[in-house]
Amino acid sequence: MTIQRLLAHAATTLLLCVLFTQTSFAQTKTITGKVTDDKGIPITGATVVAKGSKSGTSTGTDGSFHITVSTSATTLVVSSIGYGSQEIDISSSTEVAVHLTSSSANLNEVVVIGYGTARRADITGAVSSVKAKDFNAGATTPEQLMTGKVTGVQVAENSGAPGTAINVKIRGNNSISSTSNPLYVVDGVPLDATYPVAPDKLGVVGTVAPANGLLFLDPANIANITILKDASASAIYGARGENGVILIETNKGPGKTQIDAGFKLTTGAGLIKANDLMNASEYRKAIAQYSITTDSGASVDPFKAIQQNKLTGVYTVAINGGGENGRYRAVFSATDQNGYILKSGLERYNASFSADHSFLDKRLKIAFNLALANYRLQTAPTSAEAGSNGNMISMALQWNPTLNLYSPNGTFNQTNPSGQGNPLAMSSYYDSYAYVTQLFGNTSISAKITKNLSYTFLYGVNYAQSTLDEQTVGLLQAVGSNSNLGLAEVGTANLMSQTLTHTLTWDQNVNENFKLNVLAGYEYYSSTGLQDNESWGYGFTYNVLGGPQYNIPYYKAMQTMKQSNLSTNTDAPATSELQSYFGRVRVTAMDKYTLTAVVRDDGSNKLGANNKYGIFPSFGLGWDILKEDFMSRQNLFTYLSLRVGYGQTGGTDAIPYPGFQSSLVNLTGYGTVGVGPATATQNYGNPGLKWETLTSTDGGIDFGLLNNRLTGEIDVYSKSTTNPLFPGTLPVPSSGATVWQNLPGHIDNKGFEIGLTGMIVQNKDWHWSLQALVSYNKNKYIAPALGASPLFLTGQISGNGVSATYAEAIANNQPIDAFYLRTWTGYDQNGISTVKSQGSSYVGDPNPHYIVGVNTEVGYKKFTLAVNSHGAFGFDIYNNTLLTVTNLQELNNGKNAAKTVVGTGESMADPVSASTRYLEKGNFMKLGNMTLSYNLGSFATYVKGARVFVSANNLFEITKYHGFDAEVNTYASNGGSVPSLNVDYIGYPTFRTVTFGLTFSLN
Amino acid sequence: MKRYKLNGFHLLLVAALATMGCTKLKENEQNKLVIGNGGSANAGTQLIAAYNDLNTVMHGQDEIFSLQENTTDECLVPTRAGDWDDNGVWRVLHAHAWDATHGQVQQVFSNLGILESDATTVLALNPTAEQAAEATFLRSLAQYYFVNLFGQVPYRTIPNYNTINASPVMTPAEAIDTLVTNLTAIIPQLNQTLNYYVTANAARFLLMKVLLNKQAFLNPTKPAAQVAADMQQVYTLGQAITGYTLTTNYFDNFGPNNGGFGAPGTGGQSTENIFVYGNNGTATNPNGTGNGAIDDRWMMALHYNSYDQGGNYGSAGWNGFSTIADVYTAFDPTDTRKGNRPYPSANVHGVSPISGLNVGLDSGAQMNEAGVQEMDRRGNLLSFQGVVANTETDLHTLEGAGIRGIKYYPDYANYTGHASNQLAIFRYADVLLMMAEADLSGASGGAGDALSIVNGLHTTRGAAALSAISLVNTANLYDPTTMLEERQKELWWESWRREDMIRMGVFLSAWNLKTADVGTTYILFPIPVAQLVANPNLKQNPGY
Repeated sequence: MTIQRLLAHAATTLLLCVLFTQTSFAQTKTITGKVTDDKGIPITGATVVAKGSKSGTSTGTDGSFHITVSTSATTLVVSSIGYGSQEIDISSSTEVAVHLTSSSANLNEVVVIGYGTARRADITGAVSSVKAKDFNAGATTPEQLMTGKVTGVQVAENSGAPGTAINVKIRGNNSISSTSNPLYVVDGVPLDATYPVAPDKLGVVGTVAPANGLLFLDPANIANITILKDASASAIYGARGENGVILIETNKGPGKTQIDAGFKLTTGAGLIKANDLMNASEYRKAIAQYSITTDSGASVDPFKAIQQNKLTGVYTVAINGGGENGRYRAVFSATDQNGYILKSGLERYNASFSADHSFLDKRLKIAFNLALANYRLQTAPTSAEAGSNGNMISMALQWNPTLNLYSPNGTFNQTNPSGQGNPLAMSSYYDSYAYVTQLFGNTSISAKITKNLSYTFLYGVNYAQSTLDEQTVGLLQAVGSNSNLGLAEVGTANLMSQTLTHTLTWDQNVNENFKLNVLAGYEYYSSTGLQDNESWGYGFTYNVLGGPQYNIPYYKAMQTMKQSNLSTNTDAPATSELQSYFGRVRVTAMDKYTLTAVVRDDGSNKLGANNKYGIFPSFGLGWDILKEDFMSRQNLFTYLSLRVGYGQTGGTDAIPYPGFQSSLVNLTGYGTVGVGPATATQNYGNPGLKWETLTSTDGGIDFGLLNNRLTGEIDVYSKSTTNPLFPGTLPVPSSGATVWQNLPGHIDNKGFEIGLTGMIVQNKDWHWSLQALVSYNKNKYIAPALGASPLFLTGQISGNGVSATYAEAIANNQPIDAFYLRTWTGYDQNGISTVKSQGSSYVGDPNPHYIVGVNTEVGYKKFTLAVNSHGAFGFDIYNNTLLTVTNLQELNNGKNAAKTVVGTGESMADPVSASTRYLEKGNFMKLGNMTLSYNLGSFATYVKGARVFVSANNLFEITKYHGFDAEVNTYASNGGSVPSLNVDYIGYPTFRTVTFGLTFSLN
Repeated sequence: MKRYKLNGFHLLLVAALATMGCTKLKENEQNKLVIGNGGSANAGTQLIAAYNDLNTVMHGQDEIFSLQENTTDECLVPTRAGDWDDNGVWRVLHAHAWDATHGQVQQVFSNLGILESDATTVLALNPTAEQAAEATFLRSLAQYYFVNLFGQVPYRTIPNYNTINASPVMTPAEAIDTLVTNLTAIIPQLNQTLNYYVTANAARFLLMKVLLNKQAFLNPTKPAAQVAADMQQVYTLGQAITGYTLTTNYFDNFGPNNGGFGAPGTGGQSTENIFVYGNNGTATNPNGTGNGAIDDRWMMALHYNSYDQGGNYGSAGWNGFSTIADVYTAFDPTDTRKGNRPYPSANVHGVSPISGLNVGLDSGAQMNEAGVQEMDRRGNLLSFQGVVANTETDLHTLEGAGIRGIKYYPDYANYTGHASNQLAIFRYADVLLMMAEADLSGASGGAGDALSIVNGLHTTRGAAALSAISLVNTANLYDPTTMLEERQKELWWESWRREDMIRMGVFLSAWNLKTADVGTTYILFPIPVAQLVANPNLKQNPGY
């Protein structure tokens, strides 16, 4: 976006400001009070407004507020996102106590729905929201706040390493070529959640799994998360709504002077699930059994040797302020997070500032939100793409437990008879740091043009700049090529995206029976994509065997490298653009029937010239059954409503850059001939490329029973993705370039969701609530044109002896990434594996059929114990670690092996072969978090809302899966650009943490 | 209370807002490829790109080599415990049990397409007559392998060289016509003399192959009798290939000094390599192509401890590719092509004094440079044995089973850099054998001339003279008086065996570790499914 374009938009908006010059004078009085929920817990950030006036304030962390209102005001309206609103009579008092109902499905609850808000009762799509008070305690990323809290939403971490990307799937896998992650919208600005760091080029330790694109957001500063699950809700985001939308609202502060502060101390407490390797004595017994003589005499625990455990902390301080016309909040937090494995961790500093102020008799409001983050991600050599000898987890798993890790002279023992590298040397001689500075900000100007018409202008920017420093010190032996010569890389990357939105809203209660809300908008988004450049190479003169030793990392002295070994690379993908027009009409008749119609017209330069624009409509109908006459006599239900929706959304996320023809220019190696650089077409434009379109139908019932002691929601849906995008093979002969094309057939997801919340005990001293969520989804790709053979193999198997081996396939009438393997039938008389036939068949599904969340909270007076657990059922995992890292054949090669492979009748000559032998059931239930807190309340005049807590994360997991964690999604791909699912290869283990914390406010 | 009023100014504003929000979505010119228009691509660079395409598809142990050799009696890759399972891809090739998901089949299809496409692109970029002729040869080479391996030839016309539409497909008959026409036309236009460029002799050689395999391409399951006129033309073309002599020491054709970068006989040890991939010991070769992975050819066969000279040369063998004992034992004991002996120490690249390694079909005890027998990783004495299975199951022999082929042997002088063995794609000895085969199939020289050619070859190779020669003995694939067997002895592991067996009608027979095929499915490879989806002009081959 050019500055000129931005200025043109801004100038128009400024013109709006001069329209309003009215000021008002009135006599006033001050009302004070406190807002609590039905359990008496203070509600922070609730809005308090005098009825009929626009003046308002917000409550502080202790729930208290004070507001100056006109003497003529008789009623206060108190509301908060996630709670119902309530009217309080203030005609006779200046001090009030307000209790808001916190039922999760309260019909008066105000819910953020994208480009606006709506009452829960008026929502006709599948929309769930999680409020701050219901967030998972102990979350270190925004996604984890809602793990197990929302039906139909699966939150899976790629690995246990700090800062790793988290895959979120809403209602299954919609797409073949993208990971089906939803669109994130933070404070109204859609995000490109890319981890902005240059790629690794050293090749010794493999590509590091992508880190989380939301690291710039401090999870503790998030107020609310809303999930738009079906197309009737997400169609307002059109082309980016295919995988659902997650709306994140940050905390804007209570609107009065207050300091919020807190700190947390965390320590590791072991793995959630131990590995099943043999210790030294078990190893000795095993090698005796197989007549191997690899006992080196010592007893070591290599896996323990690679762990670290340091006390880490999170420190937060915020100042808040404000008054009748505005508020601000500035937060600073410092976070130190350690990984389980040596030299892995995340250090980050988050600062955010938000302010809004109303002018011109509240007819103009200007708001800013600014999040500034600096973080340092230290990565251990734990890439799944490293091969068995560049990954320190694999090296520790395989290290002979009778072999000392250190030589007698105190140096690392790097002469393992098996030829395998030393995991401690690997750790010690490898450094990788990514430094990222990110600015995410937006400003909005809202003007109330007439009583019913308002206008909002929003400009958002997401800018990130980063440096990657990486080295393998030349003292490292027996790991990869050239590692003993010393390797280093310096990389930089940046990312810039901008969003510009105009919306006009007409909101009118035409009469008692007819309410109208109309939205019209325009949005422009551009993203540069990740621009990166790297310099890397090998051959240093110091810190190598026999060379001088200096305490200077190679990446700080790149000029000392043998310069002919230095390579450089620059990537500058083209800017992608999205331009959209959208509208929404919501009509509510007789307070019972609501109709929502949405249309969005999106234009993207990723699409073919013939189909640049796509139109995405949706319709939704809501019916408040309880308001019907025939329900008037019942007293079982507190509320009961029905909604049905239909909609279409699009997806282009899989396409990494605009879809026109681009070329690769190769500038090296053609000197002799002297004819200049060679070019090859890297990507062909496909003018006929169509939008991948998701069509979904959803029906749902929301209900509250027995005075809302039991509330719930039931949803049934059916989705179908047509024109699936695929980085396809061009018809041969071709230059080998890819072309994005639409595959035949469609991807179907069908399912249902049941969410129930019960308040089992609720009395003066005790409360006990229980929430149970169950979601079922079935995924299938239907494309009879493909015939019986797989279109494409995914789920690449890694390790020695399994080159070009795949475990999964994309095929007709199978789920996405269906397991496609030979069926293992046992061993023959020689101990050699037998299979049903040499051909593979479809034998499993990595997509969970059921996801489950069970959450409970018990309170006694000022004590509260909250327990969150979640699980997934009906899916399979391929245990690639057992196949190629800890198998029996490795014992023969002088390495360690899993206990489970010893003494099974298998011969050591049995081929290491991918088959159903290593396909395991993935069913698991995980106790994700348990938190005991004590509410100290207010004391010593200034201290308000103090709370102390002890929290434990990843307590235990119930599963029959043999790997580190059944909640696995290691970064396995087909080696190309199509993702795969649930192939577990030396994943970073999930570990337990215990946190002690204290939060309080001062005012 | 102020009353809201909608006035003209408001309306103007709204109108302004509605119109300003329009932008034309960009297509960045900087990323557009401009070809043949003063842009950065020209026929010269594109021709280098096309030459470079030979690198992968001709060198790789899992490319054309694998499809042409592992599907025959000549080569197999036994699975050895933790090594070489690779999802069974090697086993199914030797046993004739592959399917449409076979990765090597898919990648060869794709890589041949890249070669064909890049060569066609040269023709679209206003090439000189010489460049056009070289590109036409490279395009023909790709088309030759398409018809050979897949029985269908997808192609693009020159004006349509860069489209994404479905490509038209030639039948075998159309492909043969096209190949004969194009190759005949370029022979007089080719003036290159260096053998890592396309020469007129290379074009003649490929045309001989087309004509010799014509009937097999037209009906691979049951080739019709050869046409006498075609055979006469094969013979005539062979006679026109001059300037080459048989190399005195057979393995000099494949050693690190087999090129020398001159015309044949002007520096390199090989005097019979007609067309090579020009590896020269550096990263970039004189013709602009990148260095090729010729070291694949010895690593694929050698044991982890085979040639490391006490660790000095790393542990780089992969211990895989083997041959069956029948192939080894069929050799006359004096036949130098069998090998299994030390390479002369007088040679600057002599391999045996450095590492103790023998060249040729290597059988028996493996010695190091000090004359001490090597060990396998389990501590057993290392000895390559003729008894081998598709899946090895005995811990004590699993690393030593299988006689290994070390035709290209390690370039110790360039061990840590780029090896300098040129890949011999076409050899003069094959010209002689094709002429002899033509004689037996209708050319005017007849059996007498065929026998004289073969015996001439035997004289150089140190093998006993034959008294008779015929094409094939279907009852004995190793009958020494047949062309099929003679070609195996001369051309083992040179990527010709599959088409020779098809032409001679024995590809579906039984041999060691393979029973006779049921049906005729495996006579051709399957078309990759993604290609069938992308291009409706392709039809899946029968049986897949």
